[in-house]
Amino acid sequence: MKCVILAAGEGKRMHPLTFTRPKVMIPIANKAILEWNLINSIDAGIKEFIFVVGYRSEMVRNYFGNGKKWNVKIDYVNQVEALGTAHAISMAEKFVDKFIVMCGDTIFGKDDIKKILENEQSMGLYKVENPKEYGIVETKDERIIKIYEKMQNPFTDVINAGIYHFNKKIFDYIKKTEKSSRGEYEITDSINKKAESESIKGIYLKEWRDVVYPWHLLDANEEILSKQKEKINSDIEKNITIKGNVLIGKNTKLMNGTYIEGPVVIGNDCKIGPNCYIRPSTSIGNNCHIGNACEVKNSIILDNSNVPHQNYVGDSIIGQNCNLGAGSKVANLRLDKKNINVRINGKKIDTKRRKFGITLGDNVQTGINSVMNVGTIIGNDSYIGPGAIVSGEILPFTKLL
Amino acid sequence: MCGIIGYNGFRDANKVLIDCLKRLEYRGYDSAGIAVIGKNLKIFKEIGEISKLEKEIPDLKGNIGIGHTRWATHGSVTKENAHPQTSSDKKIAIIHNGIIENFKILREKLEKKGIKFRSQTDTEVIAHLISENYKDNLEDAVINALKKIKGSYAILAISKDEPNKIVGARKESPLVIGVGDNENFLASDIPALLKYTNRVKYLEDNEICILSKNDVKIYDQNKKEIKKEENIIKWDFKDAEKSGFPHFMLKEIYDQPDTIQKVFLGRVSEIQRNIEFPEKVETLLNNGIESIHIVACGTSYYSGLVGKYIIEKLTGIPVFVELSSEYRYFGTKNEKSLVIGVTQSGETADTLAALKEAKNSGCRTLVITNVIGSTATRISDAYILTQSGPEIGVAATKTFTSQILVLFLTALKISINQDNIGADELYKYILYLKELPRKVRQILEESDQILKIAKELKNSKSVFFIGRGINFPLSLEGALKLKEISYIHAEGFAAGELKHGPFALLTKTTPVVAILTKNSTYDKMIANIGEVKARGPKVIAVAEEDDTEIEKHADFVIRFPSNSSLLSCIPISVILQLLAYNVANLKNCSIDKPRNLAKSVTVE
Amino acid sequence: MKAVILAAGEGRRLRPYTETIPKVMIPIANKPILEYVIESVRKSGIDEIILVVGYKKEVIMEHFKDYKKAKISYVTQDKQLGTGHALLQAKNLLESSFIVLSGDNIIDQNSISKLIKDSSEYSMLIKENPNPSKYGVVFIEKGKLKKIIEKPKENLGKFISTGIYKFPKSIFKTLKDLAFEGIYDISSAIQYILKEENTINTILASSWADIIYPWDIIKLNENMIHSSSSISGTVEKGVTIKGNVTIGKNTTVYAGCYIVGPVIIGEGCEIGPNSCIFPSSTIGNNSVVHPFSQIRNSVIMNDVHIGSNSVIKNSIIGRGSIIRNNFSSVNGKAVIEVEGEFKKLENIGSMIGEDCDIGNNVIIDPGKIIGTKCKIAPLKRIIENIASKTKVI
Repeated sequence: MKCVILAAGEGKRMHPLTFTRPKVMIPIANKAILEWNLINSIDAGIKEFIFVVGYRSEMVRNYFGNGKKWNVKIDYVNQVEALGTAHAISMAEKFVDKFIVMCGDTIFGKDDIKKILENEQSMGLYKVENPKEYGIVETKDERIIKIYEKMQNPFTDVINAGIYHFNKKIFDYIKKTEKSSRGEYEITDSINKKAESESIKGIYLKEWRDVVYPWHLLDANEEILSKQKEKINSDIEKNITIKGNVLIGKNTKLMNGTYIEGPVVIGNDCKIGPNCYIRPSTSIGNNCHIGNACEVKNSIILDNSNVPHQNYVGDSIIGQNCNLGAGSKVANLRLDKKNINVRINGKKIDTKRRKFGITLGDNVQTGINSVMNVGTIIGNDSYIGPGAIVSGEILPFTKLL
Repeated sequence: MCGIIGYNGFRDANKVLIDCLKRLEYRGYDSAGIAVIGKNLKIFKEIGEISKLEKEIPDLKGNIGIGHTRWATHGSVTKENAHPQTSSDKKIAIIHNGIIENFKILREKLEKKGIKFRSQTDTEVIAHLISENYKDNLEDAVINALKKIKGSYAILAISKDEPNKIVGARKESPLVIGVGDNENFLASDIPALLKYTNRVKYLEDNEICILSKNDVKIYDQNKKEIKKEENIIKWDFKDAEKSGFPHFMLKEIYDQPDTIQKVFLGRVSEIQRNIEFPEKVETLLNNGIESIHIVACGTSYYSGLVGKYIIEKLTGIPVFVELSSEYRYFGTKNEKSLVIGVTQSGETADTLAALKEAKNSGCRTLVITNVIGSTATRISDAYILTQSGPEIGVAATKTFTSQILVLFLTALKISINQDNIGADELYKYILYLKELPRKVRQILEESDQILKIAKELKNSKSVFFIGRGINFPLSLEGALKLKEISYIHAEGFAAGELKHGPFALLTKTTPVVAILTKNSTYDKMIANIGEVKARGPKVIAVAEEDDTEIEKHADFVIRFPSNSSLLSCIPISVILQLLAYNVANLKNCSIDKPRNLAKSVTVE
Repeated sequence: MKAVILAAGEGRRLRPYTETIPKVMIPIANKPILEYVIESVRKSGIDEIILVVGYKKEVIMEHFKDYKKAKISYVTQDKQLGTGHALLQAKNLLESSFIVLSGDNIIDQNSISKLIKDSSEYSMLIKENPNPSKYGVVFIEKGKLKKIIEKPKENLGKFISTGIYKFPKSIFKTLKDLAFEGIYDISSAIQYILKEENTINTILASSWADIIYPWDIIKLNENMIHSSSSISGTVEKGVTIKGNVTIGKNTTVYAGCYIVGPVIIGEGCEIGPNSCIFPSSTIGNNSVVHPFSQIRNSVIMNDVHIGSNSVIKNSIIGRGSIIRNNFSSVNGKAVIEVEGEFKKLENIGSMIGEDCDIGNNVIIDPGKIIGTKCKIAPLKRIIENIASKTKVI
């Protein structure tokens, strides 16, 4: 039984992180979203995978290779043109018989994946608090009647979770599917066609997490970290305080005065301290440097990045290969305590959060004593000069001196 | 030259081949063909455009195949001469880009052995040679066959008996491997593959490649395996659509206000009054240059000639402009020389050879090209991109003006480095540069005046173009454009040379286009026009807006807005392009694909 | 469903700007009006658009040549005889019901969606408007069209037609028949259909904007500029940016500039040092603003040069114009005559056309319109409109 995972999308609403990686490769708690799905699927018993790739496919391929690292077989198919979910799934036609399909950018739990595996001709459902944002599903006695597009007044809070169990016949329905009003071939339309003559079972999932905007990554990060088990793989000097659940990678050096409040995960080859304060729900990637007099709270820091001297980083996401100059600081709370608004792709969006710091793309450098206001988005390869004050949306390759 | 494509994967081969061939059509298009192995080896060939071939292909099952679009070098345009060519037993199909120099001898030998040839192509020889050497292994047969061949080639071969592999071989003709997931590609150039994959491996001369669905193996001539790195191509080579323009060429002429702007984007600052290039270029232009050699072919050669005037005027450094095909045999070489290769595609064989020779002699090499990632950018010390976007029309238009402007910026930069130019003078030139898009737009808006003149020229059998100084190479370019697309014989002359021979050709029915700018050559040009008129022909002058004198001497005047005398070449070029276009259009010529011409000549 | 967008008109009352580009290509917040229309149409779900072009069509084709988000086909209306005649040109490209809109009126996507989803065979979008529009005033009964009066002299009704309709393919027969009799506009076709007992459903449009005179460009720019904000290019130290400001790629903003949004600065520009850009200003691509200049509530198009110490308020500077040092666009009340009509304006600056060369220390009185390619010598005070291609010495 093969598992097809759709990993071709760009995820424009995750800019600037997705300027340099496909959405499924964004790490949460130090593992790419796609990797969580891979691990959970392996735990559910799957051994063969097909990744449908497209946008920046090399990032997926270079990381996962042929699957040897996880003792499974991973194969790839290139979607070439972003024509919709049904089109993506059709790429796998020559390689599968009965199979399950899941959206690579939504995290599914292993028990739920197992349930879908056990039920031929099924699809996952989930109850949400904000069904207006999703396609809702009409069911009757566990059978799928119809999947509806996003509507203003949804009549149910049950949504399409994005995981399915198909047989080869689905490809016939996909061939008959027409372009939607969005101009794409949607698997939901194919399923609606199938539901007219065949019985599809709706299975309610227990766990489901999707991420649309960068701040959702912080929620997902917090949730995953809360479930992790402690493990310390490194040398720790004296005068280090570790409270709660903390995972530390190999070769990571923790120096005097480091104070870590879990849950926190720190990758391999990092240099932490001396005298730094790392607070809960923080993920730090590999080869990072958190230095003297730094405080990091509820943030995600990707590989090879440095928060090296006298910095504060709170409720933020920092891309790969970033370097914060000494004294660079992040504001994460408005003085009037109102919700924080962020501009993504020029559009203003209410994060509905009181606390949100910055989102940095890859390769961003900030000068000494630079100041980044709440909700600032800085595109990859940008340069923030010494003492600069930054807010709003900064596009990639910008110089703010 | 020809375009070739090979596919081995999971998609329907015929669909992928036709899709990629359409992107290669600019390389050659008098005929096209594909071979696909499904249950059998099936071949489809047609003369004319790829869309014609597409109509002939049924719903074909098969996931491995090769495709070719042809620009004839040996043999006329017929279905039999189109590729793929096959062996006598039809089990082996091959496609080929290049020229086999000893094909006559090889053909005679094969005919003596009883082999019947179906085409006049040199390519068919290769098919029979492979078949002769075939003993259950396609790559061995190919290697042995190629040992007998002298010439250039990029070959793809498939065999019905080994339906899982494509064998490719390269010698002095481009061939690139595209690495996919559960599929692999071979093509003449990167743009053909870019839609499907951005991972490429470059084949070098005398290397063989075996392409299977999941693997790509590269060998040298002794079948020793060579490991190659994958290169990720970052650019997005979108297929240009005509978007409502009747021809690509017209669209590209209209692109020029934008493409001219793109030459200065990020390089010219008005407020800071300077010119900035990427580091490698800056280094190259910074240390004492004693002579400059510009090597190029075709229209790029003419932009080099225009560049010569500009560079010599601004820097005082002697500039030699040479045809690439001649440079490799007669050129002078020196460490203090800067050799500038000008090639739109970056793949022009003659220019690449000249650059290689220059590099070997220790010269500094700079390339001016429009295609990022092209061979020229990889073999030179530094390169400057014209950033004009793809030029699909075979007659070069926007790349010509962009090349001249890059040469202009290069000259300014060298001049700044020499301390040869004052801040005020530099500022003046920057303002002139910035005015160019506007001036070109004005010419485009007033193109009706050019259409009127085109009507005068369309029935001519021969047209002469004359100019002095910087306008002389423009007269050459004007003649070339007219020749290329309207098939009217045209020649450019230095105005002062007419009396030394060509006057004999002038009659009442050979119009003369005279290019005049108000500088030191103006009075002499007026005199030349007088001499011409005395012999009968109509004179069409290309003159500045406020030139009132010319009306007394010429029969027709096409006006362009004044600018710096060094930069008038840009509006004048646009006028000459529009003139050629309108004449060709009135004559209903096939403007984007002129007969017998190919966009990028990659054979020598 | 397909959409036909009529983009063939000249827009005479918008001279001098329409001397070189068609009305639909006038830039508002750095985007041609037509692009707003196309985007709204596309976002409402339509992926095939037919543009009826005519006057200066190359400008349109050039701008949209790389547009990939929807399929655009072009048909040419050789002679601008009327809206119905324009629509007729698209006849062969349509197989079923379609919507038709004008390329020079900005409409929101929700209104278009409502029109598409409406079940009637014939429907149209209407708008409340105190001033009669060129499309006519409409009279409604129970949501259905009762009467439409084209270009009324007095202000008769509450609603106006937006010129946006949904038609079945049979409309072409009606248009053809009327064309035979020398009647070329869509409003007449509507009257005819009403007479034939057909019902035309009316739907209220949410947001709809039209420009008729040059000064409307300033107002519409103000309305459309607010939403976006993103910074690119190079911003030197000591630049103050407040509010929604967009700075394009390859643009450099030099030290000491003070930019208060909403402001849009295009690509490849150079601003400053020490220049001030105030709301709601738009600066086009490749423009240069020299040090110590002030721009407020103005539309500066592409390729413009503004010399040092210039003050530009409530003004429009056309593409490619060069304004030399110490220029003043005086602001105040003005009465402007356009094609026999007199318009009163409260606070207006200068409206300068394309490719002008304005010398040092020139002052232009409020509301004056300078045509294309005018040349004004230094130290002049301009007190009346200047026709295109005039030299003031």
